[in-house]
Amino acid sequence: MRVYLEFGRKSFQKMLQYRTANLAGMATNLFFGAVRVLIFTAFYQASTAKQPLSLHQVATYVWLSQSFLMVIRMWGRPEVSDTIRDGSVAMQLTKPVDFQFYWLADEFGKSTYFLLMRALPSLLFSIFLFRIMIPADPLTWLAFLTGILLAVVLNQSYIVAAFSSTFWTLDATGVGGFCFALQTFFSGFVVPIALWPDWLQQIAFRLPFEGMINFPFSIYLGEVTGVDILVGFGKQILWIAFYVCIGRWGIRRGLTKLVLQGG
Amino acid sequence: MIPHHLRLYFHFVLARIRTQTAYRTSFLLDVASNFLITALDFSMIWLIFERFGNLADWSMWQVGFLYGIISISFGLSNMVGRGFDLFQDEIRLGTFDDKLIRPYSTFYLILVHQFDLKRLGKIGQGLIFFLMANAKLSMSWSIGKVIFLLATIVGGTCFFIGLMVVGATLCFWTVQSIEFINIFTHGGNEAGNFPISIYKDWFRRLFTFVIPLAFVNYFPTLYLLDKADPHGAPAILALISPLVGIIFLTVSSQIWRFGVSHYQSTGH
Repeated sequence: MRVYLEFGRKSFQKMLQYRTANLAGMATNLFFGAVRVLIFTAFYQASTAKQPLSLHQVATYVWLSQSFLMVIRMWGRPEVSDTIRDGSVAMQLTKPVDFQFYWLADEFGKSTYFLLMRALPSLLFSIFLFRIMIPADPLTWLAFLTGILLAVVLNQSYIVAAFSSTFWTLDATGVGGFCFALQTFFSGFVVPIALWPDWLQQIAFRLPFEGMINFPFSIYLGEVTGVDILVGFGKQILWIAFYVCIGRWGIRRGLTKLVLQGG
Repeated sequence: MIPHHLRLYFHFVLARIRTQTAYRTSFLLDVASNFLITALDFSMIWLIFERFGNLADWSMWQVGFLYGIISISFGLSNMVGRGFDLFQDEIRLGTFDDKLIRPYSTFYLILVHQFDLKRLGKIGQGLIFFLMANAKLSMSWSIGKVIFLLATIVGGTCFFIGLMVVGATLCFWTVQSIEFINIFTHGGNEAGNFPISIYKDWFRRLFTFVIPLAFVNYFPTLYLLDKADPHGAPAILALISPLVGIIFLTVSSQIWRFGVSHYQSTGH
């Protein structure tokens, strides 16, 4: 276990070097948040019908998803997949550690970095500048943070499983693109799932992606409560187990096929 | 002189295309995934209209029309202006020095250097949604309007390339990549997917007068769909739209020149 913590810490430290990039990224997140909130505001003001979520809730959802985007590591492209392409994966394989957990530890270090350097400042902006909702009940906070933690692990095990295909294709851009597209849409990142047409909601709730964005933020909004929260955690954990298994299988099969690139 | 530059440009573009299509499956997957990911932007429009119905006097397909135009322009600018997007590497690695001793302008050399064919995905999905909107709105086109549309797309492409040039110019001072310009390129694209008239005043003014995003698709769409601006912008603004993008690129290239004259090599 200690060795994985150490890998995580190394990847955290590496991220610390990119200060300006982080500032620019934060500005971009905030800008996209502003655009989306302005769009929703226009639609809410133009319509008088009662909606499943209030504008304040939607705005909170948007600011939260922009703040936590990099923590959850949506569209995170694991660097390890690049090492397969250039052959330096050989070095990684000589280490006496589990390859998949090494991969996950690396991603986890980044998540921690973005939690401290991106999510927290963005969250403060959102609270003080944009007046997002703040749950009063500490239990809601606890459930929300647990949901986020599981969302991070779910997303990472998904990405590792998806990118283990690099062993076969060498260039994961194509496969990665499809996986990212599924995730972006069905996680509820674009529009909160509560606002979707019913039939599409039914599909979304049967897929793993809902647990990456929509579920944890719905806890925060107070839209998911009581037993439903526990059911949600259960779903997240089952999907994590599923993707960890797929990833393990993919990596094991991949290693037997691996051709080292370069000299 | 100009035909020579043009011939050389196409020579390089063809070479780039050959490189990028060398691995056919990988290339096709790239285009397909670019298509799919960028088409997700339209899913936001669809989901929101599905939930809320029309927005003031804009229907979903009128917004689709707007969306098609900006997607094509942005896709084209990314395809052609890729060199400016990657320019930070030239500074960081010091390879820009080589460009300074060649008998062509640096602007031209950076432009010639890259060409990103996979953006066909973004352009393709923009075109599909544009054609669908066109069918749903049962548009009637005259030759004049078609020429105006093509000029609009050229103008929009110039506008986005202009932004990328400004972003690249900043690298002369910052050396490392600062991705602040993405706020205006990608963020502008995102904001421009909806009519600019729906935004708050400060936002609308910023993207009309400071960064002329509204001229990429909003004013041209008003003209083509025969709509009026709720904030009372004069109709003439639509007709000069294509020019605004071209002027913007011209100004950007002057800023670029200024940047080049301040270039300090990082050495090799």
